[in-house]
Amino acid sequence: MSLEIAVHEPSCRGCELCIDVCPTKVFELDAEQRLCVVKHAEDCIACLSCAYICPSTAISHSGYHAVKNFYRDAEFCEKMGKFL
Amino acid sequence: METRSQRVALQDAMVFLGAIASGTEQAIGESANRISYLAGVNLGKRLSEGVPTTGDIEKALDATREVLLRNDYLWLFEAFKTHDQQATFQESEEGTQVMLVFRDCMIRQSLFRFGHAQKGSLCNMMYGFFAGALQNIMGRESSLEIVHAGENACYKKLVVRRAS
Repeated sequence: MSLEIAVHEPSCRGCELCIDVCPTKVFELDAEQRLCVVKHAEDCIACLSCAYICPSTAISHSGYHAVKNFYRDAEFCEKMGKFL
Repeated sequence: METRSQRVALQDAMVFLGAIASGTEQAIGESANRISYLAGVNLGKRLSEGVPTTGDIEKALDATREVLLRNDYLWLFEAFKTHDQQATFQESEEGTQVMLVFRDCMIRQSLFRFGHAQKGSLCNMMYGFFAGALQNIMGRESSLEIVHAGENACYKKLVVRRAS
C-alpha cells in the first residue's frame, strides 16, 4: 500500500501551518477557496508534522510506516539485551 | 534476561538517556552538542572498522546501513528525492549532497518518551556517527544537517565533502 495524504476540505481553515511546517513543500494554498491543498503527494516523507500541527485535524495519511515504539517491541528488547 | 525485564530496563535506560542529554544541554549549552557529536564520531569509527572502503557514496551509505543493522541499532534511513530534484545524489561546490529520511529512530523515541526537544545533543550524536563511519569508509569529511525533525520521520541533508 502506497502512502496517501488527504486534506478534509470542510475542516481546513487555510491557516497555512501545514505549508510552513512541511519540509518537502507538499502543500499549496488555494487562495480562491482559502484552502490548503495537496500539491505534491509524492514528496511526502510521512513525518506527520502537518497532521500534528493542524488545528482542525484536517490532514490524514494512510499507507505509511508508523515508527516503532521500540521500548514496547519485544523483538527489539531482546536485541537490546547486550546494551543493558 | 527475560523480555519483560529487558523492556523495563530499556525504558529506564531511555529515561536516563533523555534526562542526561536534556540536563547537559541546560548545564553547558552548546558544548553538549559538541560532546555528543564527538561520542558519535568515535562510535561511527569503531563500529565501521574493517568495512571495505569505497569512493561511491551510495555504496558507502549501504555499508553504513549494514553497520547499523549488524549492531541492532534502530537508526534506519533511506535516500530521498523530491519531484523537483534532478537526482538523488547531487554535486555541489561543497561536495556530494543527498537528502536522507530517518524513520525508526531510537533517539526520537527516547526524547518523546518524556517530551524532550528534538535537534539537541542526542541528534548530534547521529551526525557524529555518520561523520565517523563515512570517514572510515570513504576517507572524506561529511556533515549531516537536520532540515526537519518530525514526529514520525526526520529529514536531513548529508553532504560528503570533496577529497582534499
